[in-house]
Amino acid sequence: MKMSAEYIEAQKNMQPGVISSVGFLGDDKRDLVQIIDEDEQIMSQLGLDFEKVAVWMKKLLDLAVKGLGETVLVDDKWEVNVYEARGFIPCPFKDGIFRKRVIHVKNTHNKTEIDLSELSIHLFEKHHFLQGKGSPFRIDPHMLKKVLE
Amino acid sequence: MSAVLITTLIVSLISALLAAVITVTDSFVNNYGTVKILINKRKILQAKGGSPLLFTLASQGIFVPSACGGRGSCGVCKVKILTDVGPYLPTELPYISKEQMKEGIRLSCQIKVKKDLEIEIPEELLFAKKFKATVEKIRDVTYDIKELTLKLVDPQVIDFRAGQYVQLSVPPYDKIKEITQRAYSISSVPSQKDRIELLIRLVPGGAATTYVHYYMKQNEQIEFTGPFGEFYVRETDAMMICVAGGSGMAPIKSIIFDLYEKGITDREIWYFFGARSLRDLFYLDLFKELEQKWSNFHFIPALSNPLAEENWDGEVGLITDVLNRYLKERIEPSKPKEGYLCGSPGMINACIQVMKNNGISEEKIYYDKFA
Repeated sequence: MKMSAEYIEAQKNMQPGVISSVGFLGDDKRDLVQIIDEDEQIMSQLGLDFEKVAVWMKKLLDLAVKGLGETVLVDDKWEVNVYEARGFIPCPFKDGIFRKRVIHVKNTHNKTEIDLSELSIHLFEKHHFLQGKGSPFRIDPHMLKKVLE
Repeated sequence: MSAVLITTLIVSLISALLAAVITVTDSFVNNYGTVKILINKRKILQAKGGSPLLFTLASQGIFVPSACGGRGSCGVCKVKILTDVGPYLPTELPYISKEQMKEGIRLSCQIKVKKDLEIEIPEELLFAKKFKATVEKIRDVTYDIKELTLKLVDPQVIDFRAGQYVQLSVPPYDKIKEITQRAYSISSVPSQKDRIELLIRLVPGGAATTYVHYYMKQNEQIEFTGPFGEFYVRETDAMMICVAGGSGMAPIKSIIFDLYEKGITDREIWYFFGARSLRDLFYLDLFKELEQKWSNFHFIPALSNPLAEENWDGEVGLITDVLNRYLKERIEPSKPKEGYLCGSPGMINACIQVMKNNGISEEKIYYDKFA
C-alpha cells in the first residue's frame, strides 16, 4: 500500500495538537501506511479478523453505555466500564465524528485490560489503523488477543 | 564541494526572499483592521480582525466554552451569527444540524473575523471570566474520583449559580505540548466565593483527568474560565427529583447545599445517587447528616452490584430501576415535580424516559449532559 493523498492528509491530522492534544501516532516513527500494513500482518498472524473483532468491540461499547456508567459484566468474562466527556472528536480520515466515549475492558479470567474509544473502534474497523506505538488509545494486537482469549 | 555550498546558499537566499515576500503580502492582504462585534444587540466590542471569532472574543474577555481549545474538533463553541460570513466550512459541517444552519449557528473557532459582525451568545457568557487559582487541596473521594479545591488568586472571588461549570486549563505535560481545556461542574456552594471545588473522575487516556490524577501538585498555579451552563434550580415549589452517578455528584451537591444554606427547606427533594459497589459511593455521611437536619430532603444511594462482604442494606439495582420504583411506590404522585440530572448521555436519556413514564413532563426535566 502507498501513502496516497488521503493517507498523507490523515497522517497530518494525526499529529499532536491537530485533532487531539496527544495525537494518534505516539512515538512511532513509521508512516501511516507502514503502521497499518504491519499491524494487519500481526492481526493475521494472530488469527484475528478485523470485522469479527469490531463486532465484539461494538457489542461491548453498546452494553457498557446501557450500564449507565457502572461496570457491566459481559458473557461472564469481560468487565466493561464506559467513561464520557463533553464534545465530539472527528476521525482523522474525515469520515465521521464520534462521541468522546471510552470503554475500559477487563478480561476477568486472565486480568488483561484494554481501553477502546468510540473513535479507536472506528479507526480499527474502517481503516485497520490501530494507532502508533505509544499512543494512549493504541490497540496493541497482542494485548487484544489476550483480552479476547 | 564549493559548488554544493554555493547552490545551498542560493536556495536558502531564494527561500528567505520568498518568505519575506509572503509575510509582507500577508500583512496587506490579511489586514482587516479594527472590526466591531455587536453582541446580543447591546454590547459592542472592538478588536483587531483576522483571527477566529473564538479567540477574538477571548481577547476581549468573552470566553465561549470549547473542549478542544479551538481546533475545530469538539463542536462545543457554537454561536449564532446574524451577519453573512459566507458558506459553511467543511470543518463545521459535521457538527451543525440542518436546524442550526437555518438559525445561523456556526463554530466560532472556524469563523475568521474579517468584517463587522453581529452575534448572539448565551447571556451568561458575558459574565464568564478567566481566573488564576492555586491548587489548595487534592483529595481522593473514591479510587477514581478526586476532589480538587482551587483557591482563587486573580480575580479573588467568583459569582456563580449552583449547578454551573468551569473550563479548567491543564498545562502541557509529558507528551502533550499544549494547553488542554475540559469542563467540570463546581461542587462547592456559591456562597463560598474565594475558592471552588471540583470532582474529577479519571478517564482512561483522558488528557486532563490524567494530569489531575497523576501530575497535579498542591500549591501549583492553574487557570480556568467560567462560570458556564444553564443547569440550575428553577425557582418553583415543585418537588425536585435529582439523579446522578460518579462525578455527576458535583452540580447536584452544589444545588442541594445551596438550597439548604438559603433556607429553602420547604421544598421536597429526592436525591438518587447510583454506584456499582460501596467503594464507588462517596459523601455518604455528608448527605445522611443533611437528611437528619432537613426533613424534606431524602437521599437514596443505590448500588447495582454490592459485594457480599459490604453488608449493604440500602437500595440495590440500576439507578433507573430504583428511581422508577420510588416514583411508583414511595413518592407522592400528585405533587408537581421537576427532574435534575447529571451524568453521561446514556444515563440521562434513560432517566428522562423513566421520569416521563411516571408523569414528569420533559420540559420540567433539566440536565447537564456530558455531550
